[in-house]
Amino acid sequence: MAASSCSRRLAPARATVSILRQPVYDQTIYDTVRRLLAIHKLDVRGKRVVLKPNLVEFDSCTTINTHPMLVHAALEAFRELGATVRIAEGPGHRRITLDLADAAGYFHTIPSFEDLFTDLNLDEVAMVRLRRPASKLRKLYLPHTALGADLLVSMPKMKTHHWVGATLSMKNFFGLVPGGVYGWPKNVLHWAGIDESIADLHQVFPSTFAIVDGVDGMEGNGPIQGTPKHAGVLVAGRNLPAVDATCCRIMGIDPAKIGYLRLSAGSDAVAEARILQQGESVRSVRTDFQLLPEFQSLRWNES
Amino acid sequence: MTATATQEKLETLQNPDGGWPYNRGRSWTEPTVFALLALSCETAVSSEAANKAVRWLRTMQRADGGFAPRPGVEESTWVTALVLLLPPSLLARLNAAGALGWILSQTGRESSWLQRMRVAMLSGQVHRSGSEGWPWFPETAAWVAPTAFAILALREAQKRDPRHEIHERARSGQEFLMSRMCADGGWNHGSSKALGYDGPSYPETTGLALLALRDLKDARLDRSLERAARHLESCQSSEAASWLQLGLLAHGRGVLSSSSAKRSGVQQVALGTILEHALRGGGVFVS
Repeated sequence: MAASSCSRRLAPARATVSILRQPVYDQTIYDTVRRLLAIHKLDVRGKRVVLKPNLVEFDSCTTINTHPMLVHAALEAFRELGATVRIAEGPGHRRITLDLADAAGYFHTIPSFEDLFTDLNLDEVAMVRLRRPASKLRKLYLPHTALGADLLVSMPKMKTHHWVGATLSMKNFFGLVPGGVYGWPKNVLHWAGIDESIADLHQVFPSTFAIVDGVDGMEGNGPIQGTPKHAGVLVAGRNLPAVDATCCRIMGIDPAKIGYLRLSAGSDAVAEARILQQGESVRSVRTDFQLLPEFQSLRWNES
Repeated sequence: MTATATQEKLETLQNPDGGWPYNRGRSWTEPTVFALLALSCETAVSSEAANKAVRWLRTMQRADGGFAPRPGVEESTWVTALVLLLPPSLLARLNAAGALGWILSQTGRESSWLQRMRVAMLSGQVHRSGSEGWPWFPETAAWVAPTAFAILALREAQKRDPRHEIHERARSGQEFLMSRMCADGGWNHGSSKALGYDGPSYPETTGLALLALRDLKDARLDRSLERAARHLESCQSSEAASWLQLGLLAHGRGVLSSSSAKRSGVQQVALGTILEHALRGGGVFVS
């Protein structure tokens, strides 16, 4: 009995990740997001919450960016919980961020968007020394808006990625790195090691939450030139590696083969047994995303 | 916007320290240089606003000759090229030789012999050594926008300094830009292909690259100019439209008028002023 009790105490807590169905971008998404936040019992009253969507480029033929209606739903839901909310992003390719946001529908969907938005590429910055970095970086200049957030909410699009396999809530933090200092793209991260830089950025921001836009994602040659892929889900949780691992499984990708997840959490930490799944099960919503030939080895073969 | 109105608008947006922010907040080197370029279009280079701005810029110049993008950043970056675009009367109050030396010392990391050897061994591809662009940040790869600004800076420097090295680096930079042209004839950030797939061009970088290639005689540019004109027809961004129009003007293509600025940040006001000046036959970039 004593040994068993001891084992229970030593066992690390399982990370809660919720999956809710959201078939289309319509008014029901507002309620779905409220239910997601309720599952995780977030206490954000009086807190500064920063929503970090994924804005990359605009192409009306595909699904590159986080849908503005999802961002608006999160904005409303966090406000209802008593938080002060800002939306912030620093795109990696296009310099004229507001025009990109305009083309992606953010001005149309989110009232007073320009007043709520911070272009992280041009925000005030502070130098942050990295403790035990996985990458070659020793320091990073990072934006005040992100560093000062009580809760940083990563809101990526569920997409395949032609360098790291999948781009989800952790990779989305590349958009926190200021282009005004490092340029467009933030190539310093590429030279320092992409997987390693993702792991380092994750370490800098301890208070995080993720809401992944998996209603319509992107498969194939993501994150820009792929093709739309309907998955019909929103995935959320406080533990970003666990959220990303769950998204990978939904996409039919083995998370243990994703470099930044191994670096950040280790293969064991993102094992299914270590994640407490809420809402839908992974298997009930699994929708294999097409992978480029170079990434076929990432395919998740459930045993 | 009249000359006086431009000056007043820019002075309203100027920070007490003499620099300009992108939109609001602390001063950055890039909008400060653009504001000065706009003021210089309106012959206001001797104004108190310009004097304060140059004093602020002096604090941004680092011991290596380059300029930091903003206070608190300990590295010189691509913005050094922008500073070299300032009129000689303002540049004389900065260490212009140091800035030029810094620009000449920079190249894309992919151009280093070590990197070329590595790529050749891994891919079997040997990249030509005659094409060297500029990075945004030291020790990283070269990209379209910083290369275009560096070429423009070197072309200005050539007017005062006839060294062959300057001419040669500008020519090499132009070759880099031509090598990064997208399949549609324009330019994006600098990745024209990803895993074999063609990437589309952007309006703003297409205009900027055309500016930097204004003295290049190359039949391939005909397609680029057509692409720029098509971008302009559908361009929703005032800033991007300004770059496109400047690029077209630099190649002798007529454009009707400047677009009305949709937003009123320092960059938009300054770029709009520079474009209006160019349309009247003057020009920071196109002369």
